[in-house]
Amino acid sequence: MARAQVEAQPAATGGGLVVMVGLGVAFLLFMAFLNVVKSGNLLNDSNLLYAALIFYCGAGVLYVAFGVTGIPSYIRFASLATWGGLLANTGAVAHRWYEAGHPPFATIYEMLLSFVWTLAVLTLIAEKKYGVKIIGTVTMPVAIVGVVLMQLLRTEVHPLVPALQSTWLHVHVTLAMLAYAACALSFALAMMFLIKDNIKTETFLGATSLFSIATYLGVLTRFEKWGGLNVVAWDPGRKAEVFLSKGVRLYVVIPDLGWMMLLVLATVTVPFVLYLAWRKTNDEGLINLANRAVFVGILLQVLALVFFILRARDAQYASLDVDGLNATSLAASPFILSGLIGGIFVSLLYLLLLWRREDLERMLPSAEELDRITYRTIAIAFPLLTLMIAAGAYWANRTWGSYWSWDPKETWAAITWLVYAGYLHMRITRGWRGRRAAYFAILGFAVVMFTFFGVTYLLPGLHAYA
Amino acid sequence: MARCVLFLLAKGEIMAASVPRKIWQTLGAIKTGVVLLILVVILSAAGTVILQRPATDPDEMQRSYSPQMLRVLDAMKLTDVFHAWWFVLLLLLVSLSIIAASIQRFPNSWRYYARPYKSPDDNFRKALGTHAAILIPGEDVGFAVADDVLRKNGFKAEHIVRADSVSLFGERHRISEMAVYIVHASLLLIFMGGIVDALYGWSGFLMLTTGETANSFEQRNGKLRVLPFAIRCDGAGQENYTDGTPKKWWSKLAAIEDGREVVRKEIVVNDPLVYRGVRFYQANYGDTGKMATLTLNANPTSGSGESKEIVLGLEGPTQIDADTSVRVAEFIPDYVVGDGRVYARSNQPVNPAVHLVVTSKKSGKDVNVWLPPIPGFEENEAAPYQFENPRLEMAHFTGLQVSHEPGQWAVWGGVILMGLGLAVVFYLVHIRLWAVPVRDAQGQLVLWIGGAANKNKDAFEQRFRKIVEEIEAEVKARREAGAPVPADVLAAN
Repeated sequence: MARAQVEAQPAATGGGLVVMVGLGVAFLLFMAFLNVVKSGNLLNDSNLLYAALIFYCGAGVLYVAFGVTGIPSYIRFASLATWGGLLANTGAVAHRWYEAGHPPFATIYEMLLSFVWTLAVLTLIAEKKYGVKIIGTVTMPVAIVGVVLMQLLRTEVHPLVPALQSTWLHVHVTLAMLAYAACALSFALAMMFLIKDNIKTETFLGATSLFSIATYLGVLTRFEKWGGLNVVAWDPGRKAEVFLSKGVRLYVVIPDLGWMMLLVLATVTVPFVLYLAWRKTNDEGLINLANRAVFVGILLQVLALVFFILRARDAQYASLDVDGLNATSLAASPFILSGLIGGIFVSLLYLLLLWRREDLERMLPSAEELDRITYRTIAIAFPLLTLMIAAGAYWANRTWGSYWSWDPKETWAAITWLVYAGYLHMRITRGWRGRRAAYFAILGFAVVMFTFFGVTYLLPGLHAYA
Repeated sequence: MARCVLFLLAKGEIMAASVPRKIWQTLGAIKTGVVLLILVVILSAAGTVILQRPATDPDEMQRSYSPQMLRVLDAMKLTDVFHAWWFVLLLLLVSLSIIAASIQRFPNSWRYYARPYKSPDDNFRKALGTHAAILIPGEDVGFAVADDVLRKNGFKAEHIVRADSVSLFGERHRISEMAVYIVHASLLLIFMGGIVDALYGWSGFLMLTTGETANSFEQRNGKLRVLPFAIRCDGAGQENYTDGTPKKWWSKLAAIEDGREVVRKEIVVNDPLVYRGVRFYQANYGDTGKMATLTLNANPTSGSGESKEIVLGLEGPTQIDADTSVRVAEFIPDYVVGDGRVYARSNQPVNPAVHLVVTSKKSGKDVNVWLPPIPGFEENEAAPYQFENPRLEMAHFTGLQVSHEPGQWAVWGGVILMGLGLAVVFYLVHIRLWAVPVRDAQGQLVLWIGGAANKNKDAFEQRFRKIVEEIEAEVKARREAGAPVPADVLAAN
């Protein structure tokens, strides 16, 4: 559908790119179709997901192109492509649901599926209802990363262990995905507010390099003696992580990858150090140097990602805890993978800002409007967070006999709730608007990310399934 | 002198009155609330990073921290943050702060809520930001039209007659002004439930095998808890998916009080048995290492006579024929032979052996039969029957999590109340509209219309403009038609 219209209007302003993206989408869909015809299995969730990926990629390119050039026809086709992706994504969710017999929230693969779906819906809502057209520039790449991650992760349906067979679990996870997607949106809006509010580009440099540093520090918690990197072992037969005992995963060591990560950490630290030096001396040369360092950093990060994928994918390594070789798989390390991809993505966003700031600013609604919409998305996210925690507590009460056990995930969910509660109090009773409120919204989302990824990855607890 | 003492006394009294007052004011200040919240956040985060005693193995604690470090952490209660006295104190302070803040702000809101400002005077009209003026032919037409339009827009307009003025007032969702107190109250309700459970709640673990009855168990804190009734397990089991992973654990439970069975239920993982406020959850299922039944084929050694199928339990001897009986003397789930004895290596039925004793009533002779035959112990050949094809049924235990949480209803009530409260806080806007006929600067008769909303002000502005336009259009239409004024409006005026 979208394809036909793309080709029908080549004369529109900036039509060249639209036609190219349209043809690309058509070509990839056609190739996929040939494959499908060969296998004879048209409608399964991986095919649909592949279609969604193609549409989202098309949308992503057009959104970014809109962000850079501001040609209005791009946004129209970007929306159409998003609709196409959403349709395929919905099909994938429905198929998965039908095949598994339960709503798709049980495994990390299924949760990503639902998260990407929610993100696409919210993007369209933000665009149509609130007129934040540029939002897709941020959310579509996130959706693409999500779908790519899903392609790498396990796809087959796992039966649910007894503790997970509860409607309340589905309610809990649905609410969590909705709330987290709303938080993600409020974060993107707060960032746009800061761009519109004339925050110095250099400050963004400091923030993005700090993010990369934090990511690689997180990855390096898995650093092993003599430069290895610990990853979770994977049982290819059962398609599951290997556990030594309850809650204790078996780690295998990929040799030398730790050094690689250490090198990248050193590289991404350089722009931050230069930024700090610039703040002291105000020497513009330092910032130019830092920007060049960011560029080198991106190249090294891509290299680290490639090495990680090559070495962690379906290989066998020794472990410190048991004798013999154990297999590993990308599916066993979803958090390292998303950390690496996230780091690259954030650095690229910084480059976009560095080179095209004026164009970006032209595209955005007014600062006041962005501030208001940020507040409104948090007004949606906060009740959802509340209900999410309540549904989780109710489920825990039915399953473990206690509605609150101070498990790390629970505690961090409560902390997230408190941070947003703080935001609301400051905004309502203290009249916090603008920059301070935006910083608070960003802090809130950082805590959400830690709750979602960091707690599962770094802290032990009951939420081990997800 | 006396006056001086009196003065001092009075001063002391003022001082005494002002210190608690100051504390009260400080407690209710938003700054205090924020500082307390930040402290809660930092300390709970610490509780997720530092290993916590209740959830972690003592050995694991020893391995993770050096002895000195562990001593310091233990002394500061950082190894059990969420049950430390200072954490409880902090939550108490948060509650007090919420109470103080709510009570201090409540009277103002209540005044606003209970006695809405309905009749706008000159000063109010000048101060109000959102307003408009519409030229009207007469007061009655103005009122009639405004009344109509407000009603159409979902506002119940009332005529306010004061000594010196008549005006129209309409509002929606006044409850929105009170919603924040609903949310605060719900949070306190949840805290209260939590405190009640911390003080009067308990939980523990009860292990039962099929047919077993128990009325006491060890609590999580190590104390023995005796229930006023007993619980009996009538069966327990596990169902698997085709790939062998567990699909379902179930137990058939019955509660027995004064020797009578009062309630019976089959529980599964997400569906507990509740009796007299005590909840029994399916938490665990496994092998006891004991045998439940053993089914065997017994063939007469002499070769004459037919093969029989016999079922053996642990209880007593089973008759094979009129003369011969057999009983299970020992069951070893995982056997190993050494030092002239048969040992059990583990409780898992991975390598089971069973010791049977076959007795002949006539001769009074016992024969030891071992399955599988263990050389040096077995006398299998000497027995009147040979046993084949053993089918073993193991005895399983069901693990029940038992808990009593008298405060949980306050928690669920609080959660529901909070959901409602938040919905009102964020999505119901208190909108007020006033209409009053006045003379403008040129001395013309106009209908002054003002409006106010307590949140989402930009959306309200648009709505206000729409209402004003509707009134304007209607006034214009009526003026052109020369429509008669309804009698009831006249009467009201």
